[in-house]
Amino acid sequence: MKPDVPLVLQHSFGKLLLEVAPNLTAEYAVGNTSVIGLMMFMSAAEFERGAQLRAEENAEMRAIFEETGGLGLPGDLQKRLGAAAGGREASLLISDLDAENDRLKTLLIELQAALEELDSQPARKLGARIWGFLRQAAEKRKLPYPSIG
Amino acid sequence: MEEIAEKFAAYLSHKMPQASALAVEGISRIHGGASRETYRLTARWQEGGKEVSRPLILRRDPVASLIETERDLEFNAYRAFHPTGVPVPEPLFLETDEKWLERSFFVMEQIEGCQAASPFSPDPYGELAPKIGPQFFTILGKIAAQDPGAIGLGESMEKPAPEECWKRELDYWEGEIDKDTLIAQPIAKGAIRWLRRNPPPPPKELRVVHGDYRTGNFLFNDAGEIKSILDWEMCHLGDPLEDLAWACDPLWAFENEEKPGGLLPRAEALKLWEEASGLTIDPKAFAWWEIFAMVKGLAIWISAGKEYQAGNNTDPVMALSSWYCTDVHNRLLSKRMQEIAEEEAA
Repeated sequence: MKPDVPLVLQHSFGKLLLEVAPNLTAEYAVGNTSVIGLMMFMSAAEFERGAQLRAEENAEMRAIFEETGGLGLPGDLQKRLGAAAGGREASLLISDLDAENDRLKTLLIELQAALEELDSQPARKLGARIWGFLRQAAEKRKLPYPSIG
Repeated sequence: MEEIAEKFAAYLSHKMPQASALAVEGISRIHGGASRETYRLTARWQEGGKEVSRPLILRRDPVASLIETERDLEFNAYRAFHPTGVPVPEPLFLETDEKWLERSFFVMEQIEGCQAASPFSPDPYGELAPKIGPQFFTILGKIAAQDPGAIGLGESMEKPAPEECWKRELDYWEGEIDKDTLIAQPIAKGAIRWLRRNPPPPPKELRVVHGDYRTGNFLFNDAGEIKSILDWEMCHLGDPLEDLAWACDPLWAFENEEKPGGLLPRAEALKLWEEASGLTIDPKAFAWWEIFAMVKGLAIWISAGKEYQAGNNTDPVMALSSWYCTDVHNRLLSKRMQEIAEEEAA
């Protein structure tokens, strides 16, 4: 698909903001046009990186699940973590990656809560490692914000 | 838009039987009011042989909202604070009969010659910031200084026990996250568990909490004077530090943690609030409410995303709130929580 999608979205953002919005008279329409343009600018970045970010996050969560042996996790949590650690992406469609991301994050929440209940030094260390992952993942997902005026 | 103008003119004629030849002119929707539809208009009528003209604001319930609130709560807050010196528009009519405009609404004075800044501008106030900043935190302190009972809000609002303030708010906003989230939220849920394990000391007294006191929710003029505090739809009784922490959230300062609201240095802001409120900030409690503010923010952005995805409200600002604000709060909150987790693991 050429021209590249991010380029088309970025130019469309510029046209909306600099050429369309100034020629509108209704305040509500001007505001909406600007917001739509801003979201096109953000979508340009997400189109390029979206699959990569999700696949990386999913891989990192599986790696964390592999580190949970010997912690004394309750019930069948250890078993479910092990099964998830051996999982694979169904496809590279964003919707499939999102569904797997949701499934893994749900399990991650359960793991975090269990570690907090254990209250041991290894549990606290893994808990801190998970927060490090979450912070890094959030930073990687940072949306670009255009410099305007 | 003309249909709303005609229907609203009929409503005003009903409320003001002494007025004749009443017409509504120049109606336009204001962008950004994601919790209510907000319209600016001018009403003109004849009364006692004279022509009267009054600029008004109409706030109508939306079909679906960024936050679910009761419009009478906001109307009562305007009515309570209007005589106190806290700048708010004069509230005029509250209408819950849906026959007039299909949904409930209220009407208030329009503050002319003023603007509200965008909360997402890197420098929303420019050279006026040093003038606006002290007013912003002083007014918030004045709100916290009010005795809720003395201004008529003591009976109309739920009164939690002081030691229950934090739990009431946290329970509510966690419930909103659980109800509306479209994807698992490990950052918000982890922060909530920490907040529950480390409750704050209670406030000495219950005060009115505005609930959304921040950049973008007040009007100022070209001289840098704050003329009106808006958007009281989330006001409640609680710990006044909740408001201060929300006002200081870095989301409202383009992520600048040391210049709340993009207005003035943090230490100066907190000192002005203490002077105006007559209250002393407990650092432990304030740190708790700062983390809570990010959780509350996430709850609001998550709910906005859900409403948009479900097609209940496709106003673009709902989608932008869910994308951009969730992104900012997830980054800020995960940073804070990682720091705490590393301290606890050391």
